[in-house]
Amino acid sequence: MNRNTERPPWASIIVFLLPALVIYTALTAYPVVRTFWNSLHKVLPNRPDEFVGLANYATLLFTDDIFWRSVRNTLVWSVASPLFEVGMALLLALALYAKVPGARFFRIAWFTPVLMSYVVVGILWVWIYNYDWGAANASLRFLGLDSLTRAWLGNPQTALPALIFITSWMWTGFNMVVLLAALHSLPSEVIEAAELDNCGWSAKLWHVIIPLIKPTLLNLLVLSFIGKMKIFDLVWITTKGGPLWSTETVSTYLYKRAFEWSTFDLGYPSTIAAVWFVIIMSCVLGLTRLLRSRDRLEY
Amino acid sequence: MPAILTRAIVMLLLTGYTAFAAGPFVWAAMMSLRTTTEISRNHFGLPFPPHWEKFGQAWFNSNYSVYFTNSAYVVVTAVLVLTIVGAMAAHCLSRYRFRGNRFIYFLIFSAIIFPPQITIIALFQTLVTYGLYNNLAGLTLVYIALQLPLTVYILESFFARIPSDLFDAARMDGYSEWAIFWKVSLPIALPALATTVILNTILLWNEFLYAVVLITDEAKRTLPLGIQRFMGDQLEDVGMIATGLMIAIIPIVLIYAFFSEKLIQGMTAGAVK
Amino acid sequence: MATLTLDRLSKRYTSAQEVAVTDVSFTVADGEFMVLLGPSGCGKSTTLRMVAGLESITSGTLLIDGARMNDRPAKDRDIAMVFQSYALYPHMTVYDNLAFGLRRRSMPGSEIARRVRDTATTLGLDPLLQRKPHALSGGQRQRVALGRAIVRDPKVFLFDEPLSNLDAALRVGMRGELSALHRRLSATMLYVTHDQVEAMTMGDRICIMQGGNVAQIGAPLDVYAAPANTFVATFLGSPAMNLLPATLGPNRDVLHIGTQALQLSGALADAAVRAPSNDVLFGIRPEDIHSGSGYATLRACVLDVEPLGAETIVRLAPEGTSAEMLMRVPRTFSGRPDEIATITIDLAASHLFDPASTRRI
Repeated sequence: MNRNTERPPWASIIVFLLPALVIYTALTAYPVVRTFWNSLHKVLPNRPDEFVGLANYATLLFTDDIFWRSVRNTLVWSVASPLFEVGMALLLALALYAKVPGARFFRIAWFTPVLMSYVVVGILWVWIYNYDWGAANASLRFLGLDSLTRAWLGNPQTALPALIFITSWMWTGFNMVVLLAALHSLPSEVIEAAELDNCGWSAKLWHVIIPLIKPTLLNLLVLSFIGKMKIFDLVWITTKGGPLWSTETVSTYLYKRAFEWSTFDLGYPSTIAAVWFVIIMSCVLGLTRLLRSRDRLEY
Repeated sequence: MPAILTRAIVMLLLTGYTAFAAGPFVWAAMMSLRTTTEISRNHFGLPFPPHWEKFGQAWFNSNYSVYFTNSAYVVVTAVLVLTIVGAMAAHCLSRYRFRGNRFIYFLIFSAIIFPPQITIIALFQTLVTYGLYNNLAGLTLVYIALQLPLTVYILESFFARIPSDLFDAARMDGYSEWAIFWKVSLPIALPALATTVILNTILLWNEFLYAVVLITDEAKRTLPLGIQRFMGDQLEDVGMIATGLMIAIIPIVLIYAFFSEKLIQGMTAGAVK
Repeated sequence: MATLTLDRLSKRYTSAQEVAVTDVSFTVADGEFMVLLGPSGCGKSTTLRMVAGLESITSGTLLIDGARMNDRPAKDRDIAMVFQSYALYPHMTVYDNLAFGLRRRSMPGSEIARRVRDTATTLGLDPLLQRKPHALSGGQRQRVALGRAIVRDPKVFLFDEPLSNLDAALRVGMRGELSALHRRLSATMLYVTHDQVEAMTMGDRICIMQGGNVAQIGAPLDVYAAPANTFVATFLGSPAMNLLPATLGPNRDVLHIGTQALQLSGALADAAVRAPSNDVLFGIRPEDIHSGSGYATLRACVLDVEPLGAETIVRLAPEGTSAEMLMRVPRTFSGRPDEIATITIDLAASHLFDPASTRRI
């Protein structure tokens, strides 16, 4: 807009940028800093903050078993979910890519779970997982597999996998839509060249199509990973972290410590937030660096 | 295997998956039209006769009208302010070259991946200090800040693609920078603006975590909070809860029905590489 | 190497009502270089893709070496194709791009290595074998696409406008190389292009297509000298052939252009007799018009003079008509705009066309 020789119109810039920057600073940047500040203090209501140095961190990292349990649960979720969601989505996208009739309808139908609030999804699946009359056990009984029925959300061993299943149900449709778009953007002539090079369907897939959509696949895996690291709503509606901490995630634990348990100290939960923040950001940076393709797949 | 057979199997699997994806909603929709007594007898029956009056009951007798209006008020205000503020910032960042431009953009952009936990406690403290706790205006402000990074990100890349010639021509015609924003950038960016409006509306309509922390008054609850409380209070009134769920998702379904293509593209655009 | 026969090949798309290609028939002899020439949308690429197996054939027969290919999948037709966009595998090295098709056909490794190395040397690709396509220039990518086809040693080579993405200088060089390659391999090649210069210089025979139909087939110079209709006449040659509206005299021995008359003789007179009506189009190429007096002369008003150095293009309007014609004069032209010039027509090189059917008489 302004070439290099002109001076930027500072007055206009400030007018345009100020509202956003004010909001961002006050309600995003400042809170982040404040949280780190909190983590170094004991923050009690109606009293000035009491500096405790790294005591919170020490307690958190070395003695807080629940925290580590929640970290483990969240990490399991963040690794398993993406694999299911993206893998399943790839199969579905390939099925639609092969010009199946009704592709447009399927695409719209499969995308719907993503649009719903986690609250709605949570309630629906609490009902589905109901031991007595939920659709899950009803289907199993219908198929004669009575022995496989469980109290899905009430059993510490099945609760987390049950929740992982829910998020997979939600996000597979989204991933599928993205992958379908990626497949359609592949240069048709390269695929035709592969046909001429004696590639059947599976060879085309393995040697040409999948390598070419690798960037999108990796992107989706990272997005899914980030999403699961942040998850709160679904757990809160369904299990609230139970039974027996089997579905406790970092976010639910933080909420409990900050707003439910009667400790009133906001410093410690802030420490949890700070540590988790650092972990997530490092993971994201590490993942993007690691998975960044060396080559530009220019075509 | 003959092509027809593979085709048939694929179609079967796809239909099966569709049932899996849409099934839960269909079930909830059916239950929303049946009384809880009917449901207890047979959880999977069809709604005969359909009890449309339940929607009226939910709306008037169970405070749903309150939740709905609260959500509507918060979301509409937030999205309105968000779009304008975000567009202004995006326009500025994409079209003016100045020192610190990319730094500011990066700051805002990186906030997209911030986990809400890093801000929620401090936001709670801040809102309490300024008397905005348990206050819909406070929640609205938080929502604006929440979606600002994503909005700026989407709009910035769109604004950047507008050819500079248009702006140069407008300048030569004597337009001020502000007029250029309103008369050149915004009209051209209408598709992207529409996308962010739809996206933000859906995300904020469904938002739960911030609402549950920052609102405690019954009268001020947004819809997700209302439903959740419902769940706790009347755990066995499955019929009413189902009706409530339907009310909650109706706006989303409407938006989706009219704007499905736009919505899908908007939500997935960043992910395709 | 093999013969390629298209027998009344047609293509209709089920979605559109129109037919994309209608009754295309020709035979490419063993080792011949046949060019499919025509403007965009004339059906030449569709025809090529039907030969390749990338488009289904609605009706007609396709034979390679006498064997019917209609229902055979593309990979089993023993053909290789060079795409307009080269269609290299972006994630593979040049070596792998060349070897991929051979590996997929379970050729022994030593044979693959030998073929790839030979082809690479022929095309000057040796130093590039470990690079990926994005690190190559346009011309280099084109050679790799070419190499991928050569390495397969197919019965028929198919080219889909391979030079159109190259800049002008590169195109000239590649034209020569492709011709040399054809001579060396003695391969049967079917080449699609919209560029008539490529067609004229590279083809043993050209097949001109228009609107899904074959307009004319023949050796380049034959088609140039005796175009079958006005479309072919104006498509080949640059600047295009002049087509002037004219009328024949009652005895069909005189041609009236504007207010002037030309006495007809020889082949042109025979054509005049055959004409379906007295209204004709008189076709003469700019290089067959000379400045000055001669046997068949016209007076024309000079409209524009464009000196190009080696020749001059003059735009004129014959007296009595507003129709314009172009004349090519070697070196310089002495006339100036708004002057009347005398020009001589080479009747032996002229043609008559019927305006209604556009066919040459």
